Amino acid sequence: MAANSWPETLKVLNKDYPRLDGMAKATGKAKYPSDERPEGTLFGVILYSPHAHARIKTIDTGAAEKMPGVKAVEVIAGPGKLVRFHGDDIAVVAAETEEQARDAVAAIKVDYEILPHAATEAQAMAEGAAKVVPAGNVRKGRAQVDGKPDEGLAKADAVVEAQYAAPVVTHVCLESHGLIARWDDKDHITAWASTQAVTATASELAESNELPISNVTVLTEVMGGGFGSKFGADLWGTTAARLSKKVGGRPVKIFLDRTQEHLAGGNRPSAMAKIKIGATKDGKVTGMIAETFGTGGVARGSGFPLPYVYKFGNFSREHSDVFVNGGNSRAMRAPGHPQGCLIMEAALDDLAAKLGVDPLVVRKVNLGEDFRTPMYLEQIDIGAELIGWSKNFSPRGSEKGILRRGLGVALHQWGGGGAPDKQVSCTISQDGTIELKSATQDIGTGIRTVMAMIAAEVFGLTPLDIKSNIGNSTFPPGQSSGGSTTTPSMSPPCYNACLDARVEFFKKIAPALPGAPKPEDLSLADGKLLIKGEPAMSFKDAARKIGMNPISVVGKFSQGLSSNGVAGVQFADVTVDIETGAVKLNKIVAVQDSGLILDKLTWNSQVYGGVIGGLNYGLFEERVMDPISGRMLNADMELYQLAGASDIPEIVIHAYEPPAQKQRGVIGIGEPPTIGTAAAIGNAVSNAIGVRVPNWPMTPMNILNALAQAGKV
Amino acid sequence: MRDNASHPNAGSRRDFLRGSGVAAATAVMTQTAQVGMDEASAEALATQQIGVQSGSMQVTLQVNGQAMKTEIEPRCTLLDVLRHRLDVTGPKRVCDRGSCGACTVILDGQAVYSCTTLAISAQGKQIRTLESFDTGPNGVPHAFHKHDGLMCGYCTPGFVTACQALLEKNPNPTLEEVKKGLDGNICRCGTYVGVIQAALDAAKAIKI
Repeated sequence: MAANSWPETLKVLNKDYPRLDGMAKATGKAKYPSDERPEGTLFGVILYSPHAHARIKTIDTGAAEKMPGVKAVEVIAGPGKLVRFHGDDIAVVAAETEEQARDAVAAIKVDYEILPHAATEAQAMAEGAAKVVPAGNVRKGRAQVDGKPDEGLAKADAVVEAQYAAPVVTHVCLESHGLIARWDDKDHITAWASTQAVTATASELAESNELPISNVTVLTEVMGGGFGSKFGADLWGTTAARLSKKVGGRPVKIFLDRTQEHLAGGNRPSAMAKIKIGATKDGKVTGMIAETFGTGGVARGSGFPLPYVYKFGNFSREHSDVFVNGGNSRAMRAPGHPQGCLIMEAALDDLAAKLGVDPLVVRKVNLGEDFRTPMYLEQIDIGAELIGWSKNFSPRGSEKGILRRGLGVALHQWGGGGAPDKQVSCTISQDGTIELKSATQDIGTGIRTVMAMIAAEVFGLTPLDIKSNIGNSTFPPGQSSGGSTTTPSMSPPCYNACLDARVEFFKKIAPALPGAPKPEDLSLADGKLLIKGEPAMSFKDAARKIGMNPISVVGKFSQGLSSNGVAGVQFADVTVDIETGAVKLNKIVAVQDSGLILDKLTWNSQVYGGVIGGLNYGLFEERVMDPISGRMLNADMELYQLAGASDIPEIVIHAYEPPAQKQRGVIGIGEPPTIGTAAAIGNAVSNAIGVRVPNWPMTPMNILNALAQAGKV
Repeated sequence: MRDNASHPNAGSRRDFLRGSGVAAATAVMTQTAQVGMDEASAEALATQQIGVQSGSMQVTLQVNGQAMKTEIEPRCTLLDVLRHRLDVTGPKRVCDRGSCGACTVILDGQAVYSCTTLAISAQGKQIRTLESFDTGPNGVPHAFHKHDGLMCGYCTPGFVTACQALLEKNPNPTLEEVKKGLDGNICRCGTYVGVIQAALDAAKAIKI
């Protein structure tokens, strides 16, 4: 029996429920992959390139191999190989202690032929730039064209020509990338991996070691953050497995150090845009010509959506990937959307300012035909009320004095949705244990708890009564944690598994019950078995009647329980000191839909967390590459700035969940709330100081530069 | 003067950097790119020398009221000894240089960054990690759980420990004092709203 809708009355779901592993995490008892130290563990330390671009002439590991405690050395980039960014892997040493492995890494002798580099976008795009890849540093994509942009712009009452840019930022996963690999015997591997995808990690380890995937077990009980950057074993993981084999199966533990985590663990590409956009007096966009760039490192992947959210014709857009000698990008929380959002929203805001039209009106008139439009229209009004728009907004340029207040807004969207091929097993044992299993993993989003809540809803129990077992690649196929797809993928099979298990349960126990009721006379509520609506016995007592063999069923996906496509609006209220360029956030408002919310407590955490991630992108984060050395200058957690407790303003979140939203079923929430924040902050800052700050983040330097350029200081 | 490792329950290097504008600091660094070059050549030099300061020694550390004996090297940090030799893995290694607070432990009543504390210097002192905290309904961990002041949870041990140390010194903190007391810690998932609620709630609960 596969369900196509959630129950009308919910007792557990759509409520606040603290996560099941909360106490384990808050007492230090939860064991993260990087906390594990299986017997005989060797520590692996990586030698990585100090140069932005070089050829390895020779590499001598002889001295390193003879050092105390060293058990194996693996060269990744041997003679003749290129290293193409500061942080590129060269070799790994496995030793009895981490200190010994570090010493041995320092003893590896590498002779480099240092090559010219281009570590910044400006360097890479300059005339005569050093070639990052043989084919050239700028790779133009196919132009998007709709209608006649020039004619569109000619019809405009106002045209804005501007440039906007946001830098590369890194994921800064607090638990760095890595895993422990152990050969259990000659054809089995166990790995404890900090990953968003136990299945993909197992598959990579199996393939690189020529083992069937069923011979590899990847365990991720909990993990310390991924944000899109941890979808596989990575070179570090496959190397750990190779080293483990070399040393007769002893576990080898490789986790990146903080510097390498910044350099090589992934990043969000930069985004730059040269835009010409025009609109008529009422704020309706008539045309846009956009030329955009970005860097994803020594690879493509810097694309982002533009136009974004708004619908208008007569535009052209051409995007180029710029290759630099820097670590490669990886998916990062709502890939592409924060960049597209801040560029689109900045351009619209500048148009609104030039036309003298309320920025909210400009948003509303450009939404066009879309299922999200009615949602946006309501969400804008809700958010405007919460930020006090009509009272607190004044047009750009009206603020005087040193401390200037401003408001900004941004709209965003995300897809999400569920994958239809995932499974969850539900097992009921004689002792009343209900166990769920699936090869998904909890990256902090709360899926473990949500699955237990679903089971509790079906069995009339509490989530604490449910064993929600995930983070094991040998369990039934589960979803990778990415793109806000985990909950919409896992909830339907989880619900169906529980429903089917309940049917089996009733069938099995009915004959053993007093009066031999029919299975359909049975129901479960508040921890009890009910016969024809009358409480008969506890669930535990009822479970005893199933006998020795547990009930076990596998649930599959079905339509109607989950959906995709969310909107969302955010507002920022800031005060800027125009003498120092310092920004004080007064308040952020996030109005967010995501269909039916399963756990309201963890949903709130996701939205707050998304906003704070966007706040970091808006105010603090930037990978700073040194053009001269080609190295990243702030590969740490001091000069690479992230918000601390004192940086958090009042954040008001509004769950947009009218009945029509609940009926859509489950939609993921990881990505959407992080998209619009940096855009709204940028617009609020520009509104406050009277000029556009074209470069994110909104640091004192960028703000003072913008004021200076405009001749305002 | 504070030693480097003390957790900034009262003022920090991070506060200083934020106050003075890291952008400015970064800009200066960019201009004097020599810094990067110097670091590059220092690193290159390091690969040519095999200047190893190793050699092992026995230490006994008092961890959560228990005497724990192990073999270490003099250069081992307290954090690495706890995690890699004693399997006390509550404190986490994140930045490994005293800026994020995930490794926070309480050393003789004082919150310190164990990643920048040498294990040998912790001999004879009482080392408390969050594994020893009250796990009951009035304890700090429970407040974090109840208010969902955690997501991936990797920063959580540091926040819980900083919060515990703060409340032991100041059982009645204001919101501003809570924020200040936790400013030596960084969360990437963005759990601060729950964390701050948890700290305020724990302050109330502890008094009961």
